[in-house]
Amino acid sequence: MAAAVSIQGLTKTYLDVWTKTEIRAVDNLSLEVEEGEVFGFLGRNGAGKTTTIKMLLGLIFPTLGSANVLGKPIGDIGVKSQISYLPEEAYFYEGMTGWDTMDFYARLFRISEPKRSERIKQCLNDVFLDEQAWRRPIRGYSKGMRQRIGIAQALINDPKLLFLDEPTSGLDPIAHAELREIIVNVGRQGKTVFLSSHQLPDVELTCSRVAIIHRGKLLTTGKTQDLTSGDMVEITFSGGDGALVEKLKAAGADCEKKNGASRIPSVAPSKVNDIVDLIRGAKGSVTAIVPHRRTLEEVFVDTVMKAGAN
Amino acid sequence: MVTLAIAKQTLEDMLRRKILLILLIVAVAMIALGPSVGFLSPRESSAVLRSLGLAVILLAGLLITVLTGIQVIPTEIERRTVYTVLSKPVQRYEFVLGKFLGGLFTVFVMIASMGIVFIGVLRYQEGHFATEMIQGIMMTFFQMTLLGALAIFFSTFATPVVNFFLSFGLFIVGNMSAVTESLLNNKNVATRVIAGAVHYAIPNFGNFNIQNKLIHPQVVIKDMNVFIMQNIAYALIYSAVLLLLAIIVFDRREV
Amino acid sequence: MQSSTRRNLILPLFALTVVLQVRIDPTVADMNKGRKTPFAGLSTEFILGPLLGLQQAVAGLLWVRADEFFHEGDYDAILPMVRMVTWLDPHNLDVYITGAWHLAYNFTDSSERSDRRYIPAAQKLLEEGDANNPGVYDIAFELGWQNTDKIKDYERAHYWYKKCAEERKGMDERGELTKPVPMFVWHQLAHSLARLGRIDECIAVWRKALMMSNELVRQDPKDYSRRNVRDSERHNLELTLKRKFSRYTHEIDWELDSKRSQGVDPVTGEPRPRDSYLFLNTAEIQRKAEQYRLAGEPVPPMAIGQPRPPAIEPRWETSFDVRPTFTADKVLELKGRFNVGDGARVTIRLHDETWRPPQLKAFTFDINQDVTLMQDQHSVRQGTWGRKIDMSKDPKMYSFKAPHYFLVFEFDPRGTSPFVHDRFGWSGEGMTDKKYLWEEKEKNPPNRILRKVYRITRAQVLRRAPITEADVFPTAKYVELQRSAAPAAE
Repeated sequence: MAAAVSIQGLTKTYLDVWTKTEIRAVDNLSLEVEEGEVFGFLGRNGAGKTTTIKMLLGLIFPTLGSANVLGKPIGDIGVKSQISYLPEEAYFYEGMTGWDTMDFYARLFRISEPKRSERIKQCLNDVFLDEQAWRRPIRGYSKGMRQRIGIAQALINDPKLLFLDEPTSGLDPIAHAELREIIVNVGRQGKTVFLSSHQLPDVELTCSRVAIIHRGKLLTTGKTQDLTSGDMVEITFSGGDGALVEKLKAAGADCEKKNGASRIPSVAPSKVNDIVDLIRGAKGSVTAIVPHRRTLEEVFVDTVMKAGAN
Repeated sequence: MVTLAIAKQTLEDMLRRKILLILLIVAVAMIALGPSVGFLSPRESSAVLRSLGLAVILLAGLLITVLTGIQVIPTEIERRTVYTVLSKPVQRYEFVLGKFLGGLFTVFVMIASMGIVFIGVLRYQEGHFATEMIQGIMMTFFQMTLLGALAIFFSTFATPVVNFFLSFGLFIVGNMSAVTESLLNNKNVATRVIAGAVHYAIPNFGNFNIQNKLIHPQVVIKDMNVFIMQNIAYALIYSAVLLLLAIIVFDRREV
Repeated sequence: MQSSTRRNLILPLFALTVVLQVRIDPTVADMNKGRKTPFAGLSTEFILGPLLGLQQAVAGLLWVRADEFFHEGDYDAILPMVRMVTWLDPHNLDVYITGAWHLAYNFTDSSERSDRRYIPAAQKLLEEGDANNPGVYDIAFELGWQNTDKIKDYERAHYWYKKCAEERKGMDERGELTKPVPMFVWHQLAHSLARLGRIDECIAVWRKALMMSNELVRQDPKDYSRRNVRDSERHNLELTLKRKFSRYTHEIDWELDSKRSQGVDPVTGEPRPRDSYLFLNTAEIQRKAEQYRLAGEPVPPMAIGQPRPPAIEPRWETSFDVRPTFTADKVLELKGRFNVGDGARVTIRLHDETWRPPQLKAFTFDINQDVTLMQDQHSVRQGTWGRKIDMSKDPKMYSFKAPHYFLVFEFDPRGTSPFVHDRFGWSGEGMTDKKYLWEEKEKNPPNRILRKVYRITRAQVLRRAPITEADVFPTAKYVELQRSAAPAAE
């Protein structure tokens, strides 16, 4: 599969006018996003996510490095008709109605009538925007409606690649869930989605691959599944004679007792058979062997904390 | 088409601004109340009425132009709407041109409205259509075209507040063309050089002031039409220079 | 468009704007002739306006304010406003005219004597206005009028009226300079020639005016104002002719004239009076007839009448004299004799020895407050005249800072009334005076005036010493001094 986005050594530095120090917003970032995948781009506030996206869109210019978007160097105007962008906290022309806003953006894509009206209708329906709201000025829209319009305008050109910057921040739970649903749908249509977020549960649910960025540097990247799948298993058992605890300790498995049930929180997969044998040899009965699965949040916190410690 | 779409959106956006609407209402009210000032001799009263009308149009046009010119691009950046526009297949020059044209359409609508009221008031007061006033109003519009281009140019790198003073300042200096022109014959070489630089480099807003001719009929301008055409050409070409500069700066601008 | 193309376009386009600017400049300079942008002394709202190119509007508002000051009697406040308004808007004719009128007439001492130190400024303001508005007759006419009425400089008055009548135009309803000047300009030109004693030229102007008015009446016979103008011209022409002949030769036979006015004007339907004269001899008749032919008019009937000596013969001894005394500090009392009809006016002038009629290079209302210049007039009644002139109440106007002064008493026949002219002629041909006759031979025709000059000291003004006939100063020397350059300040 070809790369939808390919970043090589992208660096963006700013000069702090007051302290005369150089701030590296993005530091030697290299990354590949495959076509058709929903890619999660994770990082804390100020990690450099938005800066990276803006560079990819040609809104700001890299200090060093290069990147290709849909096979073309960044800033290529032809590529822009195949991509789209929903900025963080998207703002609109408040006085315009939803429909006029869509019409305006459609014109920027040089989509002419009658195709334009068709596209607008379809996109507004795709994001489940209430038809009565189409002719109302955006001034009166709720936050959820604004984000819907934001996504709709990002879909107007039927893009191959979408950049979504924090699309779900600040939404109430229902709107949040609906928007997540919309993104999943977009992904199902075979479009590439570059999703920047720190809403980790969302990313975990929607993205097939993620990258974690911290202070402008790429910390890790990989399939969501690989990152969250743990190495250790947890074993719980009941019974067992008095010497079992000591034997287990000798085998490297600390065990804790609670309400008559014993638990070994962390066992390396290679040792699972030995431990089970020990328990069974001591008349104990194994009640559960559960592989550890970390949440993306745990992975994220771990990775970032580790990076912070360095 | 993209440029026009941006211009149309800008015009609609500006026309929704309350401040411009209030300016327009105040200006129209002042023009309509103009006849009540004329208590002097008929000749003077006519001159006062005409000069006040043209002055109100110029002053309101000036505020509208500067407020529009300094705002159209920075507002886009401040409201982050520029991200959604420039991430689409829109060239940066199309964006700058669209914003400029949108602002210009706004100024045109405002000046035309005031002009119609003004000529209507004169018709009511003097009994005939003072068609020659159209020349004055038209000159004001082209003067504002140039000022708008200047404000757009500054807005590509200066904050609106700085831009406000820059644009106003240059408008004032550019209005003193009579002073700088007379200094071109100064005995002091340094004065001549500085005056020349100011006179030819700074947009010469004073050129467009033909109120004199319109208010005092005894003032004769040789080849009035040629003069007007020269001024329009000056406004358009100088605006083109400013817009090219604006585009060059905006091309490198990070938004 | 490539960005390099854009960059390469900038310089040529900019050069084009410079070329355009060079072409625009002369027209703008022409249009703004006389305009200045003053910054000092204006309040903020009035500064902002001119800076933004709203000169005319600000000038209009300032002038409205000046009008209010005028009605409040605050004349001092008006002058700077006049200066501002004319700088901001050099084409507002009324401002120059009204401003100059203020300067020349409205600054007075407590006895309503004008402060004549402002007159050069008034003249300069009008000249500036005329230069800024060439082609319009209004300001040139005002210059003529001020020189006639206030300054009594009939040479200057004639200069401006002639310029006004021959080179200027009036505005039509649309405000364009297409109309000939009003007929009253020609009338004033004729009057100014009479004041200069150039009677034949005066008559020629009346004739010319009459011909023009006849044409105007022919164009619109129903316009009664045109007819009135025409009639007054005819009256003035006849009166001037009558006066000329009665004063210098002999009278017109008015009886004959009325007998001959039987023709009917085919255009107006009015009886047509004719010029008919009695002459001393056939040579005069032929000369007169030639004048008619030259003017392209039918020659009226003429006849030889009874000879009668001209009214100005023989010359009349006026016995002009005056005794000035300071009866209190700066209070001058005059007792004069003048053997002339009641109503003739004597001019009294007191000024610093070094004072000269100033030649202003540019208009300014900053006058030298240290200069003392007093001028007054007094009418003769039954051969005597006299007046008390109190200069003690107005130290600003009469500072008496100079050590020496000239006190001048003058009678100029050119400024006097027709009944005095009847005896003395327009240029004083019919008068003489044993002591104080002064012939202004440099004028054409020469003028005969009466003038007595004293040179007095500051001490005499302050009554430290009396004025005696020993202080009388030769007129010839006085005239010479007045023509010379002013000495450096003492």
